[in-house]
Amino acid sequence: MNKKLTSLLLTGAMALSMASGAVVAHAEEEGYDHQAIENAGDITITMMVSGTATDNDFETEQLPALIKEKWPNVTLEVTKLPDDNYYTSLKTKLASGECPDIILTQPMYAGQNACYAMAEAGYLVPLNDMDSIKDRIDTMQAVTYDGDVVVATTGVSILGCYYNKDLFAEAGIESVPATWDEFLEACQKLQDAGIQPIVMGDKDQYVLQFGLYQIAANEIYPQNPDFDVQLRSGDTSFTDEGTWDKVLEMYKTLYDNKYIDASQSLGYGASQAITDFIDGKAAMTFDGSFNATALTAEGAAGAFERGYFPIPGTDGVYTATCLSAGESIYSGSKYIDECKELLDYWMDGESPVWDAYLATGRIIPTYGNGADSIPNYDLFKPFIDLLNEGKAFYWCNQAWPAGTETEMEVLFSEMVGGQGTEVEDIVEGMQDKFEDLLED
Amino acid sequence: MKKKKKAAAFNSLVFTKRMYLFLIPAMAFFLVFWIYPVLQLFYYSITNFNGINYDFDFVGLKNYSKVLSNGTLTNSLKNTLIYAVCTVALNNLIGLAIAMVLNTKLRAKGFFRTCAYFPALFSAIVVGFIWSYVYMPSQGMIASLINLFGGNGAAFNPLGNFRTALYAIALVEVWKGFGTSMIIYLAGLQTVDESLLEAGRIDGCTEWQLIRKIKLPLISSTITINVILAVIAGLKAFDYSFIMTNGGPGKSTKTLMFQVYETAFTDQKMGRASAFSVLAFAFIILVTVFMLYFLNKREVEL
Amino acid sequence: MAFGKKKDDREKETYMKMSPKVFLLYLVIIVFCIIVISPLVIVFSSSLRTPENQTTPLALFIEFSGASYKRAFTNMNYLMELVNSIMTTVGSVFCIVIFATMAAYPIGRIKSKFARFLYFFFISGLIIPSQMVIVPIAQTMNRLGVPNTRFTPMIMFITCSLPFSVFLFSGFMKSVPVEIEESAYIDGATLRVRFFNIVFPLLKPAIVSCVITQGLWIWNDYFYPMVFISKKAQYSLPVGMLQFLGDKENPAQWNVLFAACVLCALPLICVFLALQKQFVNGIAAGAVKG
Repeated sequence: MNKKLTSLLLTGAMALSMASGAVVAHAEEEGYDHQAIENAGDITITMMVSGTATDNDFETEQLPALIKEKWPNVTLEVTKLPDDNYYTSLKTKLASGECPDIILTQPMYAGQNACYAMAEAGYLVPLNDMDSIKDRIDTMQAVTYDGDVVVATTGVSILGCYYNKDLFAEAGIESVPATWDEFLEACQKLQDAGIQPIVMGDKDQYVLQFGLYQIAANEIYPQNPDFDVQLRSGDTSFTDEGTWDKVLEMYKTLYDNKYIDASQSLGYGASQAITDFIDGKAAMTFDGSFNATALTAEGAAGAFERGYFPIPGTDGVYTATCLSAGESIYSGSKYIDECKELLDYWMDGESPVWDAYLATGRIIPTYGNGADSIPNYDLFKPFIDLLNEGKAFYWCNQAWPAGTETEMEVLFSEMVGGQGTEVEDIVEGMQDKFEDLLED
Repeated sequence: MKKKKKAAAFNSLVFTKRMYLFLIPAMAFFLVFWIYPVLQLFYYSITNFNGINYDFDFVGLKNYSKVLSNGTLTNSLKNTLIYAVCTVALNNLIGLAIAMVLNTKLRAKGFFRTCAYFPALFSAIVVGFIWSYVYMPSQGMIASLINLFGGNGAAFNPLGNFRTALYAIALVEVWKGFGTSMIIYLAGLQTVDESLLEAGRIDGCTEWQLIRKIKLPLISSTITINVILAVIAGLKAFDYSFIMTNGGPGKSTKTLMFQVYETAFTDQKMGRASAFSVLAFAFIILVTVFMLYFLNKREVEL
Repeated sequence: MAFGKKKDDREKETYMKMSPKVFLLYLVIIVFCIIVISPLVIVFSSSLRTPENQTTPLALFIEFSGASYKRAFTNMNYLMELVNSIMTTVGSVFCIVIFATMAAYPIGRIKSKFARFLYFFFISGLIIPSQMVIVPIAQTMNRLGVPNTRFTPMIMFITCSLPFSVFLFSGFMKSVPVEIEESAYIDGATLRVRFFNIVFPLLKPAIVSCVITQGLWIWNDYFYPMVFISKKAQYSLPVGMLQFLGDKENPAQWNVLFAACVLCALPLICVFLALQKQFVNGIAAGAVKG
């Protein structure tokens, strides 16, 4: 999957490179000091990431230990915070000039740690000269700002639909649905068999993106890959007929038919939905590759077989797969070269850190050893194939100013929660919010 | 009169202006780490600062007009008021009622008091965890109880319902907060002179009349302080929206503070959030002053 | 003191005779207490199970295992966080008491418009929530070159406690007789001696009240430590709890989560049970006198 995959990656992101300028602007310079750590003496490097720590967590436990093993003089202090707290901490730490040396950032404009916004403010160190990056710069547009790669990202992340093969068989569904109609049909069959088709944890409203972005990848970007660029220039609008109204309408169908039960899902947290899925209480759930470990764990229903497929569109299947979030180096760090050396070791594609990193099962690397034999490779295979065919688009919020997706989530919850909100209110709300956020 | 004047003169001799030196440490902290940042907030409120990039411009009063016109203020204000009214009312009613019960000669009073006060010891984050479990559909505590009695626990979903979510988190605040009110009321009630009540009883007052005519008027200052504390806490509501519902479903649990937080951090509109804050301060000050005025007046009337 | 008529003679107290009315009173209070305390009981009971046993949480105390506690204990790095919490709370409260009593001294004693203004100036801090001001505060720290250490949140705890504490102490100052100080003045005592040797000791009930209310808040606050501490080794207990945030709706993790909740609250529960009377009096004194 290596070279072929990466070269085809992110057609959408290419189009959206207005902020990223020339693709490879900065010629290879001297390179950084590769002896930085060796000459540094005892140092403490700090790192902050978001997420929920698990047992024997990679970032907070394995990584510091492996780094210590390699360089006894380096202490890596890793803090892992839940998303919201991560964002707050990040912002205040930037304001107080006490930002950790290494931070987690997202591609393009996605989220409050969007690399474009951070790079624009001058907080991120260009990483073009890193050994693990310099040969694949052309695949990293989504994390390239003004010609500089600013995020050390190692691969892609997928949004898809996890399903319970046993329950599918029970309901008499023979193959993975290849069109939207087939998908609805499958849901109906499950429902008729007395099985809850889809469980979602909509109390954590961000999970609404998981389904919606997949549908958008099918219904919007294949027709107009520049949709989001044109949004910014004013040539398109969320209110354009046959674009977002269609996407939202399609997703709403799932709620209208109770394939997703809004009265339940709105009070369910994301992790409760995952639990329900692995307990065999529902046949499907929309989620990302980053949660693969949790979704393949054994629950009350035991070790049933799981599959993962992209939600199909009205004609054809595309996948919402994009460059994943990654590590950036804070420009105010005292140890910039040391951090580069550290990240290079981690992401060189062969070190023990790399192996441990892949073993987490939530990474889909685009290079390096073991890229074809990662845990859950079989699950991800359908997506990787699509990616190799060029049938992949980025996640919508990467192209929007952070906050647009929140408005979409809120309004969509209101609609399925019976608050009288209509699809047209949502697209209007999204457009207003988008313009509003872009304004200054 | 003359004596009083003399005393005042002596007073100013004993308590000289040099005493103000004692203010220095507190004042230093307060000015540097509180007043100055608050003033900065006023400054940001007329800029388009996004919280990250310090290269920002002045935009005049645009942030204010945006906040006033885009509907977020009305929604969060409404939610905050409902939340505050619920918590203030329940906190004080339950606190006062339990205090009255515990002010009688019951056995094991200390034990009951401990029970009622216990929730106040827990951190908001722990309380958020516990109540997320209590409210959780199908497997949560209340849902399990419903299941146990043959009901449908999966249908119990207070946090997932637009109509109930706000009340559900207000109830959590009451659970954590009423114990403190109770203890304060208990102290107030114990200052009520027993002989007055005795006199009332001899005059044939019912228990309710004793409460209405003697106890409540005598603890009116306690009521004032409890209500004011609860009002301030209610208007500053943030924790449970943040920990338990994240403002949802929809916008139904977005309080003033949550909205400010979201504008600043999610939307990256620090300037607008600052304008929002300034308006929120004004509102909170207004309500507090009004409440103080109203309650003080009542105190006198009672 | 607010609890003025020290009803300590509990043994001598005559209880109400049983009558239908009294019985009803008992019933109401017992049912009420059960409702209030039941979430805590279930949490405690579940925390005593092994992490894997999540069935029938309503069956109370059917299993007694330390396994969940053990896991929570190591996940949280409990001892370290406990020590940090204690250091932060004790250090902050100590400073608050000193600074706030000192500030309240002129405010409570001097009768002038300026003193009155200062009183309201401090109190106005009560109504401003910290979430709003956090970014400017962080910038101020930056400008002053204050690094993120375990003392940084303490600065904010002290600052944020001042409004309430000054309010409390200046209110209480009125009950400290002016005459004592006047005679000390005549005896030639300096201001410093008057304050530290005469007034300060007499503020004891208010100090207890301040220590308890502010200590409770500081112990339980997660916001400032989360924002101003970079090193895990300096985390306090509530910040450590944040890492469980994703687990709150995940039944598979409940028992460990609940054990963590109990561990987080345990030190405070112990202090409360040991010093119950001071707690109750302290909270009451604060409000009624203030």
